[in-house]
Amino acid sequence: MYHPDVDVTHRYKYASADFVKHLLSTTVIVAILTMALSAIFHEPVRPAIKINQYANQHPLEFVRVAMGDLDGKGEIADYGPPYNHGTGMVQDFVQKWIGILHPVYPREDFVLKPLQYASVINPKIKSYLNRFDKASPVQQKIWEANYNRALSHARYEGGAIILPSGSYGPVAGMMQGLLQVGQSGLMTGALDRSPADYQFDNQNSLLFLQGKPLHNAASKLELKGDQWGIIHEEDAPYPGPWWMTIVTAIYQIPFIAHASAADAMALGSGMILFLFLMFAPWIPILNRLPRYLGVHRLIWREYYKKYHAKDFTM
Amino acid sequence: MNLTVILRKKMGQLFSLDTWLPTELPEYATGFMYTLGSLTASSFVMLLLSGIVMAANGPQWWTISQIGFFVRGVHFWSVQAFFFFMVMHLLRVFFSGAWRGGRQRTWLLGTLALLIAVPTAFTGYLMRGDFYSQWNAVQAKDGLNALGLAWFNPLNAGQMYGLHVIVFPFVLGYIIAVHIAMVRIKGVVPPYPTHEELEEQGVLTTTDKKEGYHVSSGR
Repeated sequence: MYHPDVDVTHRYKYASADFVKHLLSTTVIVAILTMALSAIFHEPVRPAIKINQYANQHPLEFVRVAMGDLDGKGEIADYGPPYNHGTGMVQDFVQKWIGILHPVYPREDFVLKPLQYASVINPKIKSYLNRFDKASPVQQKIWEANYNRALSHARYEGGAIILPSGSYGPVAGMMQGLLQVGQSGLMTGALDRSPADYQFDNQNSLLFLQGKPLHNAASKLELKGDQWGIIHEEDAPYPGPWWMTIVTAIYQIPFIAHASAADAMALGSGMILFLFLMFAPWIPILNRLPRYLGVHRLIWREYYKKYHAKDFTM
Repeated sequence: MNLTVILRKKMGQLFSLDTWLPTELPEYATGFMYTLGSLTASSFVMLLLSGIVMAANGPQWWTISQIGFFVRGVHFWSVQAFFFFMVMHLLRVFFSGAWRGGRQRTWLLGTLALLIAVPTAFTGYLMRGDFYSQWNAVQAKDGLNALGLAWFNPLNAGQMYGLHVIVFPFVLGYIIAVHIAMVRIKGVVPPYPTHEELEEQGVLTTTDKKEGYHVSSGR
């Protein structure tokens, strides 16, 4: 008697087969296919965005990014765990509970430390830093606020940031110095410094670039989350990671896209959907669905034709 | 309880010649639809081969050398082939109700392979060293951090490299191998029984075929 939980393969006719030849053939097919595709189309590449390139092309934007890091209002400066004590990007309690695993304090790590390295070469920077360090936190905040306000009227001419006259203290000199570090190509090295001698971690240089620099570039390429970004990775006709389509689609749901915990919700609901797929054999209705969909008649067409012609034509 | 005896029994079947080198297959399990799983496995083999060549030459090689660029292209297209054949295989298996006959765990392992393949491919995207890598890294961090997975730091190229070239492929390869062994041990799922067969066996509970039929035990 038919019972789905009983293995019944022995009831069927077996045909002789060469399994090794079969596997070798499929491997040769895939090898030829992938080598041909690589030879003809290569792999698509979009050059990385480098800090010196960004600082040269968008000097005022570079300074705005750096000011966000200095005054603590930038995205990473106010991010929260796992980087620091900020609150700006904390989506849920789990994130808070995990704590600071990869400490990043942009005021020191992205601005003051690179300037300290640069001050060895440029003593002027050293005097700006000394003056800044000696000032009270209140005074530092006033200079920073004044400089931030003036930035919207700033111009960049002949390598210098020209600002309307105002009380910026040493901040103007510090930002001019940091821009030079950025333009020189030394900034990445100043950011990605590990306690060990070897560098395997580019966390800080990526976090420095992650706000406007990378987002503006991505937006033009329609790579942002609300632009179906995950699967838009490559220029047509190159395929992107299309296997992420369902997760990408979840990001387009307005309720999720505009939520403060958008990432947790999108990835979490994607995972729940996937669990349905994983546990389909145990989920009532879903585990019987294929039988009623009838696609199996196509899959085993030859078999049904051969052994159950009457039934198959029903 | 003798652990050695249990292991001998399990491994004897898992590594037997009958499991890995069959000389005959069920008649119903032939044709293109039944090549999709093998094509997925072959794509994985290509990923391993091209990946080994790349790992042996080091991360700079595939960005600056002509041959490296070709091999990385093979690796990239093998990823596309792997996912394409895997999803086609999954569809075929789903529409066959392939978890029948005590094959639920085989299905579970197959879907687990798809699940593990996603971060395996993702960490690969982070190894390209171009704008995609930068963008994927900064975009992924927020979701990972929010889910409490901050330990997995996509901005740390060293950690991602280790995960991509050894940890994920090892886990994925192991799951695929056990999945294949289970398919072989359990045998490929037989076709759904037809009305005719069900009638013969007295399982069909309705005499009006136009109204459909019902198999008491479900799946």
